[in-house]
Amino acid sequence: MTPVIEIRGLVKRYDDQLAVAGIDLTVGPGEIYGLVGPNGAGKTTTMKILATLLAPTAGEALVCGIPVTEDPIEVRRRIGYMPDFYGVYDDLRVWEYLDFFARCYGVPARRRVGMVDELLGIVGLSDKRNAYVEALSRGMRQRLCLAHTLVHDPALLILDEPASGLDPRARVEMREILRELRGMGKTILVSSHILPELAEMCTAVGIIDRGRLLRSGRIADIERSLRANALLRIDVVGDAAAAAEWLGTRSGVADVLPVDGAPAGIARIEATYDGDPDAQAALLRDMIAAGHVISGFTQAASDLEEIFLKVTGRDDEEEAA
Amino acid sequence: MTASEIPVRASAPREFLSAVGTIMVKELRSRMRGRRAFVVLTVYLAILALIAYGAYVVIVPNAQAQGGFGGPVNASAMVGQAIFILLSVFQLLLVCFIAPAFTAGAVSLEREKQTLDLLISTPMRPGAIIVGKLLAALAFVFLMILAAVPLSALVLLYGGAEAEDIVRQQVVLLATAVGLGAIGLFFSALIKRTQAATVLTYITMLALTVGTILLFVFWSALIVRGNEEAGRFGGNDRAPEWLVYPNPVIAMTDVMAETEAESFGGMTQILAQIRGVELGFDGGGAAIDCAPGMPCQEPGPGQPDVGFNNTVVGHFWPRVSMTLAGAAVLLTLVSMRLIVPVGMRFVFRRRRTSAAADADGGIVDSPLPAGEPPTEANAEEPPA
Repeated sequence: MTPVIEIRGLVKRYDDQLAVAGIDLTVGPGEIYGLVGPNGAGKTTTMKILATLLAPTAGEALVCGIPVTEDPIEVRRRIGYMPDFYGVYDDLRVWEYLDFFARCYGVPARRRVGMVDELLGIVGLSDKRNAYVEALSRGMRQRLCLAHTLVHDPALLILDEPASGLDPRARVEMREILRELRGMGKTILVSSHILPELAEMCTAVGIIDRGRLLRSGRIADIERSLRANALLRIDVVGDAAAAAEWLGTRSGVADVLPVDGAPAGIARIEATYDGDPDAQAALLRDMIAAGHVISGFTQAASDLEEIFLKVTGRDDEEEAA
Repeated sequence: MTASEIPVRASAPREFLSAVGTIMVKELRSRMRGRRAFVVLTVYLAILALIAYGAYVVIVPNAQAQGGFGGPVNASAMVGQAIFILLSVFQLLLVCFIAPAFTAGAVSLEREKQTLDLLISTPMRPGAIIVGKLLAALAFVFLMILAAVPLSALVLLYGGAEAEDIVRQQVVLLATAVGLGAIGLFFSALIKRTQAATVLTYITMLALTVGTILLFVFWSALIVRGNEEAGRFGGNDRAPEWLVYPNPVIAMTDVMAETEAESFGGMTQILAQIRGVELGFDGGGAAIDCAPGMPCQEPGPGQPDVGFNNTVVGHFWPRVSMTLAGAAVLLTLVSMRLIVPVGMRFVFRRRRTSAAADADGGIVDSPLPAGEPPTEANAEEPPA
C-alpha cells in the first residue's frame, strides 16, 4: 500500500536558519500521527511543505505517492490543511464560508448544499449556519476551519495545532471530532507542543526538536524505550507512613515519596518499580494482604511531559558529548 | 476504482473560469453586502448629476449671449460640450482614485488577515485567484462607470458631443480602471502591508498622470537648451511622445479634444504641443468652418487635408488605452507569479503524474465520495 505521507531526508533552510534538518517519516492510511515538539521545532515548516505552501531545500515529500513539488495541485486535491494561525473572511456567513471553499475545490453545485449541512453537523455548528463567521468564538472558528478541510473529502488532513488557544471544553470537543474523522478513515497528521494532548488520540507520535525527528512510533513503545522503571502512584487510606515503610522493604521498589494531590483523607505515594505488569499486580496483592488499605494503584505512565523533556534533553546531552 | 477510471475533470479553461467565478462570487458577496455599495453608487451618481446640472446652469446664459454666431444650435452644442467635458474629467478623476483603492488590498489584506494560505492551499490556479480578484474589484468600478452612461448620454440631446465621443470616453475610463486596478493588485501581491501597497499604488498613479507630463516638459526643455547651446534655434525637437502613452489624462484630453471643432481649441493645442505639430490653416481653412455639433466641411478635391485633425486628435486615446490594457496583462501575469510559494513550480502540471494515477487506482479515496460515478465530476460539461 502506498503510504499517505512519505518524507525522505527533508531539509528546509531559511536564510541562515535550519528549520528542518533531515526528517524521514512514513504515515500509513488510517493512521493518526502526532507531531510534538517545542515551538520552533520544525512542525509547522514540515506541515507547510506537505501542504505545498513551501518548497523544501532538499529531500522529498510525497502525499499519496505524489511529490509535493512536482504536482502541487494534485497534492492539494488530496489534503485538507488547517494552518496554525489563520483568519476568517469578514462579511461571510458560516455556510457561505464552507460553500466558498467547496467551490474552490471544484465541488459541483448540487452536491454543495447537502454537504455544507453535513459538515456543519460533524463539527457541531449546525445552529450557526447563518451566523457571520467573524461572530464565532475561537473554538467555533477552529471547528469551522476544520470543517473547511473536509469539503473535498480528502484522504489526508494536516492539522497544525488544532487545539491551541482553546479552553478545556473546546479541546475535548476538538478531540471528539478528530476521533470521528478517524472513524471515517481519514489519515491525520496533527501537531501540538503538548504531548499528552496528542497521546490520547494518536496511533503514533513523533517527537521533533530543532528540525530533527528524535523519536517516532507508538507512544507506548517510545515510553518503554525511555523508562526501564515504572512510576507507581498509590493512594492509601489510613496510615500512609506505614505503607511507605512497607514498600521500602520490597525489592525492586525505590524512591518512595509521599506526594500531594490526593483527595482529603487519602495519602498519595509515588515509587519507581522495576517490574512488568504481572509483578505490579503481585506487589498490589501483597500490599493488600499486608493490611494496607489501597484506594488507587496506577502506573503513572503518562507523565508525558517528562518523556518529552527527557527526549529533547537527551539530545542536548548527546550533542554536548 | 481502476486507473482507467480516473475521474475526468473539467477542461483547463473551464476549470480556470469556474475558479475565477468562485473568487468573484465571494468578493462580491462581501462587497455588495449591506447598504454601503448602494449608498456609494447613489452618492456618486448624484454628484455627477449635480455637475451636469451645474454646467447647464452656468453655460446657458453664456451660450445664449454668444449664440449670435451660430444661432441656437451653436448655443445648445456649447452646453452639451461643457457637460461632456465636466463629466469626463470628473469620472476620470474618480476612477483614478477608486480603482487602485479597490485592488491595493486584494492580496495583502488576505495576507494580513492570514487567509491567504487557506486560499493558496486549494487547487485553484494562482492565475485564477489573481484574475478573479482583479475582476471582482473592477466589477464595482465598471458598474459605477456604466451607471453614469445615461448622464453622459444627456449630451446627445444638446449636441456638442456625439455617441462616438461617449464610446471613446467609456473606452478610456475602462482602460484606466483596468490599468490602475492591475497596478494596485501588483503592489498588493508584491508588498506585505496593505498601507504600503496603497501608498505605492497612488504614487504610481500620480507618476503616470502628472509625472509623465512633467517629465515630458522638462525633458523637452533640456533638449531645447541643448540645441541652443549648440547654436541651433527654433527647432521643433522635443521629448519622445511615447512618454505620455501610459497617461490616462492625455487620453481623456484627446477624447475631449474630439468635441473641439475649432483648430485652436485648448485641448487640441496641448496635444499638438506634445506631438510637435504646428496648428494652422495649412489645409486651406476647412477647420475654421467647423462648429460644435456641426459636421466639418470636408476639404474639397485637390485640397490637402487639414493637418492637425488627422495627426493630433484621435492619436493618443487608442495608444494610451492599449498601453494601459497591455500593462494590466503584464502586471497580472507578474502578480500570479508573486503568490506562488517560493520555490514551487509556477506552471503547475496539467496532466496528472503517473504516481497520482497509481494512487487513485490504489488505496487512496478519490476526491469523489464512494457511490458517485466518476464521470459525475464532469457533469457540468456540456454533452459533446
